[in-house]
Amino acid sequence: MTHTPLSRRNFLTAGAAVAGVSALGFKPTLVQAQTTVSLQLSWLHSSQFAGSYIALNRGWWTEAGLEVSLLPGGPNAPVEPPVVSGTALVGISAADYTAAAVAEGAPFKILGVAMQKNPFVIASLPANPVNEPADLVGKRIGMALANTPVLQALCSLNGVDINGIDIVPTQYSAQPLLAGEVDCLLCWETDLPVAMTMQGVDNLTMLMADHGYSVHSQTYIATEDTLANRRAELVALMSGEVRGWEAYRADTDAAAALTLEMYPDAGLDLETQKLQAARQVPLMFSDLTDANGFGWWTDETVAANIETLALLGRTVTPDLWDRSILEEVHAA
Amino acid sequence: MTLTAERGLRLLRPRIRRPDAWLGIIVVLLGWEAAGHVLTDSYVVAAPSQILLYLANEWQLMLRALWVTLGNATAGFVLGNLAALVLAALASAWPRSERVVTGLALIVFCLPLVATGPILRVFFGPGNGPQIVLAALAVYYTTLIPLLVGLRAAPDSWFDLVRSYGRGRFSALVHVRAMAALPYLFTGLQIAAPAAFLGAMVGEFTGSERGMGVLTIRALRALDVEMTWALATVATAVAILAYLLIGALARRILLEDPPVILAMPTQAVGASAAWRDTGLVVLLVLLAWAGAIWLFDLNAFFAKGPIDVVEALFVDPDAAQTRAALGKALGETAMFLIPGYLAGLAAGAGLAMLLTLVPALSHTAMPLAIALRSVPIVTTAPLVVLLLGRGAIGTITLVAIMVFFPTLVACLHGLRQTPGQIFDVFDSFAAGPLTRLFRVRIPAMLPAFFAAARMAVPASVLAITVAEWLATGGGIGSLMALSASLSDYDMLWSSVVLVSVLSALGYALVAFVEQHVLTIYAPEQI
Repeated sequence: MTHTPLSRRNFLTAGAAVAGVSALGFKPTLVQAQTTVSLQLSWLHSSQFAGSYIALNRGWWTEAGLEVSLLPGGPNAPVEPPVVSGTALVGISAADYTAAAVAEGAPFKILGVAMQKNPFVIASLPANPVNEPADLVGKRIGMALANTPVLQALCSLNGVDINGIDIVPTQYSAQPLLAGEVDCLLCWETDLPVAMTMQGVDNLTMLMADHGYSVHSQTYIATEDTLANRRAELVALMSGEVRGWEAYRADTDAAAALTLEMYPDAGLDLETQKLQAARQVPLMFSDLTDANGFGWWTDETVAANIETLALLGRTVTPDLWDRSILEEVHAA
Repeated sequence: MTLTAERGLRLLRPRIRRPDAWLGIIVVLLGWEAAGHVLTDSYVVAAPSQILLYLANEWQLMLRALWVTLGNATAGFVLGNLAALVLAALASAWPRSERVVTGLALIVFCLPLVATGPILRVFFGPGNGPQIVLAALAVYYTTLIPLLVGLRAAPDSWFDLVRSYGRGRFSALVHVRAMAALPYLFTGLQIAAPAAFLGAMVGEFTGSERGMGVLTIRALRALDVEMTWALATVATAVAILAYLLIGALARRILLEDPPVILAMPTQAVGASAAWRDTGLVVLLVLLAWAGAIWLFDLNAFFAKGPIDVVEALFVDPDAAQTRAALGKALGETAMFLIPGYLAGLAAGAGLAMLLTLVPALSHTAMPLAIALRSVPIVTTAPLVVLLLGRGAIGTITLVAIMVFFPTLVACLHGLRQTPGQIFDVFDSFAAGPLTRLFRVRIPAMLPAFFAAARMAVPASVLAITVAEWLATGGGIGSLMALSASLSDYDMLWSSVVLVSVLSALGYALVAFVEQHVLTIYAPEQI
């Protein structure tokens, strides 16, 4: 669908573009120097995507003949529609969301895995800590009801009875924990715990990935059609990403500073962004990526993902992951 | 201008001159300041002094965000109100189209933001498109409905006059109806101002680099209470300013007393015509829906047509599950929606009457009422839920707030529509204020009250779905957000259809009651 040669809208735009370009006396075939593509991010601009900002800022994509625009996400901005409809060449998703979309008929493949470890944690306060899944029993956990399957999967993986946990539906905020309405929160390692730390509140997190919850996050997705027909652009985009994230790892403080510099209107706080950028590193880089390069996965990690996704009610096969673009990037 | 009209107009103008009015506001501010300091550990309230401090430090960031959101809101406000004017003129010049026009307008207005946002984003791509369109969608209907009431608020003798000059319907529209509708238009515009701002903010949730909505999400996530309240304060201040500005404009233009309307009831429309119009609306909606998907070549993965929805609800193997999930979610929503709606109506009409009886109260009550409504629900939803809890009270209060303010404005306006001559009659009988209220003002208020009650149906649905989506995590609002994130677009579109149809049915129910009540109290305005 992304590249249907004669879809109605494409036909109209293409017609207008050809008319415009011919009017200026150019031959349309020559206008190929810079290809414009979009990368749909999964949330508002923040250091969560700072590797991409570095690639953009240092002109690594431009060198490769690619004009990349980074489209911000938001609370009402699902990633899948713009990728399916071709507004974005690549989107930042997560294995569970991608699996859901594929089950609904979207032709997605995962091209790369930015977060090797899923960022979901159970956050708690030192006076009443949750250090391991068994500690959850008898506690009140604040979370969106929509995430019940996530908690259920964690419980199944660790032999904990979910009925022993009191689920309190809350909005995505650390406030209920601080106000004593709940004992712990289901949230991301890189947002609510960072907010608490910045407010001067000591807190601790139990990373669910350390207890068997294997779901690749911040994954790069594209349609099968794009993968078949626009490989050069995908390779150029992903190689910029790889370079950008390696540079990010080398100096997360600089990456956070660049984020504020590039997006001054996002209302970001430098110290918060530095902390967030630093806490993201252990999720993104591991022995596996040191050995094979950023974004990599192995048959074993995919098998673990398939197992956890099955607990979440998603049936997927290993061919959801397509490593051919990454292989080309890392071979170069 | 008569004394009565002067007093009536003043109710809409929270002019703060007298010391007791200041006293009321100072007491409120002091209470707020104290709460801000006492409740520091709960991360719920920021004191006014903390908000000011934040604004003093971050005024540049705030100003840039405000500039973006205000620009989008203004563009949406203008476009939406223009659309309302065109639709109202169409319905007025060609009366047989009125129910089809309002029916279509209602269905479009009932479309839930959670679902329209992402589709508008795909349609427009990056930029301000969704923000402007959502702002326009948030306002056009609340202007259209009062306008249509206003276009009928003229005595038959005036139309006779137009006819006696040998002029037709168009002249009547320009010279009589348009003039009669002006007060109603201004009421609509006043209600629209905060709504446009809210629409623009919610539009930013579909992916935007800057604006007040972006900052609100940031602040809520970062536990930055000062920033959250500062954003709410700025948004409220802007909405209040817009409200006052439109009010001031109205007072400069509207100098006439409302006329006495003693007309024969218009011919009631037959049941068959009503069914035909309803059928036509349904047909047009289905055509526009399927047509838009085809014309704009929207991908079948997320753009589901009428047939897809029918299949999802009745044919697919999991149809029963889909229906059960929808039924459960709708039940949860209705439990909070209906009490909130009724409480908001009662509070709005009640306060309007109270302010008419005790005008001194309006000096404190009106600014607070405007402020309460102008705080965008995007920021209030989490705050109200934090303050009042995630249970029934918090959600019901939110819905009531959304319904309360348009009802109050409409009722105040309705109470003002009492012709001065009738008061002269009551003066000559030395009737007391209560007698006037019950015998004159309330009957005069009823058409405006019912117009507000009808508009409040979709507004309350908007309020509860936003609250469920952003704060409480239950009901149909949360189901829609969840379906979108899990790519379950069959479920999402089925929810959209159900929410829209049920809102329209609720609206029809209110209109039915209205018809019966107005037959008795205001037969000229049915």
